[in-house]
Amino acid sequence: MAIVSVENLRKDYRYVRRKPGLSGLFDRDIRTVHAVTGISFEIAERERVAIIGPNGAGKSTTLKMLSGILEPAEGAATVLGFVPWKQRRQLAYRIGVVFGQRTQLWTELPARDSFALLRRIYDVDQVTFDRRLHQLVERFGLGPILDQPVQRLSLGQRMRCEIVASLLHGPSLLFLDEPTIGLDITAKAAIRDFIREHAGAEGQTVVLTSHDTRDIELVCDRVIVINEGRIVVDQPTDQLRRQFLGHRLVTLRSAAPQIALDIPGVIRRTTEPHLSVFEVDTRVTRVDAVVQAALAMGGIEDITIEDPPMEEVVRAIYDANSAR
Amino acid sequence: MPSTTPTARADFALGGTLGAAHSAFTLGFRRNLANWPVLMGRALFYLVAMAVLTALWDKVSSQRLAGTLASSLPQGGLALYVGVTEWITLSVASIHLRLEDDIRLGMLEPHLLRPKPYLLQKIAEAMGDSAARLLGLGAAALLALAMSGRALPPAIAFLYIAILGPIGTALGVLIYAGVGLAAFWVRRVLPPYIIVQKIWFLLGGLFAPISLYPAWFFGIAIVSPFAASIFMPGNMMIAPSLAGFAEALIAQLTWLVLLAGLVALIWRAGLRKVLREGV
Repeated sequence: MAIVSVENLRKDYRYVRRKPGLSGLFDRDIRTVHAVTGISFEIAERERVAIIGPNGAGKSTTLKMLSGILEPAEGAATVLGFVPWKQRRQLAYRIGVVFGQRTQLWTELPARDSFALLRRIYDVDQVTFDRRLHQLVERFGLGPILDQPVQRLSLGQRMRCEIVASLLHGPSLLFLDEPTIGLDITAKAAIRDFIREHAGAEGQTVVLTSHDTRDIELVCDRVIVINEGRIVVDQPTDQLRRQFLGHRLVTLRSAAPQIALDIPGVIRRTTEPHLSVFEVDTRVTRVDAVVQAALAMGGIEDITIEDPPMEEVVRAIYDANSAR
Repeated sequence: MPSTTPTARADFALGGTLGAAHSAFTLGFRRNLANWPVLMGRALFYLVAMAVLTALWDKVSSQRLAGTLASSLPQGGLALYVGVTEWITLSVASIHLRLEDDIRLGMLEPHLLRPKPYLLQKIAEAMGDSAARLLGLGAAALLALAMSGRALPPAIAFLYIAILGPIGTALGVLIYAGVGLAAFWVRRVLPPYIIVQKIWFLLGGLFAPISLYPAWFFGIAIVSPFAASIFMPGNMMIAPSLAGFAEALIAQLTWLVLLAGLVALIWRAGLRKVLREGV
């Protein structure tokens, strides 16, 4: 059964460009940006769906419309049976939202105080609240930092508190907008593990946007790719992984001007003096094998392993679909 | 853990809304106490300002210029009047800055995703912040007054002020909330804030009772929310009376309702804009 249903949703933004000088007071140039141009999809209960795309693709706009804080220009949507932009407050009881770049906590105060206020805002009874908070604090290991002002926490600690804050009222549906942005590898892994485990155990539906392909691979079972306001691809993560996500970038800084690796599934991307970037097809060769081969050559000063930028992944998906 | 109720809870239930507002008030109060060095600094500034203004008004009062200040005001009353008006204005929380930050930087979005009214929560939070300031500055003022050896007004005047002062501060919070909501249209609220603040000080009689103004100007000032906010409580130090107190209380409560309505209207217009255009 679909708990999110979107039909031909469209959103345009209008903005005014004033001309320089005094004439700009009277001569205004009104421009329209088509942020989302008629998308349709459904999300079933307990699904974990990633909405991905490059900057400006329309991901966040879609999420905002689905959570009720932005009205569409056209189209229809229901989320948990509510029309989000008309029943925003009613819907709020049933959804949890995390904005990776915006805090929902009161930063001058300890997280515990924010949680206590959220209990009142969401009308959660004290016993249920205490039980949930205890479970989440234990799971995230937040005990020692619960009484520290949020502004003194690290980004990873703060993000864990943000996620706890979004779950205290027991939402059925989670909207996560870039939940791991800016975090280190360990913090990212902790958050991904938690989201996957918690959503699985509690039967929550998750809609996630991210620039990090690992978020998508490790958390979601379905991917919707948006580009220029349109849905380019909507398919299971496994399928997308086989086609587009099985690549890593290995950057080697070396004493020698150039490093040569002749390994199947490894191709050279760019080379500057003492810096070589290789793209590894992990379906053919494991990354650790590439690293070992490089280290065996000697003279390696630094190694970086990264996912390809989301823009590249989306471009590849877009190109592949255009060619069909 | 997910909620199993298929329909929304009674989110507009007054009890739940007021309960959340009460929690926000407490949070604002605690936040101010958590920043106690700032509160101490504010109290110190208040005492320094009062020392200067008291010296000024005592000198004016001692010279007793015929036909001007002399006949209507008690000896030392002006200093106490300014003590009250400064107490109120320095206690008004900077809600305009918090609203501006939320609106301009997009921090409003997480708040809109909650089932309780954002504006009520923010105002309650600011009221809590102001309550902590009222207590801190009030304690400092009473201590300084006791140490000064100055002649005190009747005890009943303090009771009047204990009621009118917080309501006057609440009026100030609402006035600044209106200024803060201008961020929906002007992004930066400093220009409207400066204008409103100066008008407030002038029409409210921050440094001198508006009863000393020319009659035509007094007629304008007295019917403004600014006078209800600071002049009327301050006047209880000069001319405490039950009738004056009742009159002040009615004026304050009337303005409280009117300003709350006005702020709600501005908020609704701003919210419509945000829901249509985004943050």
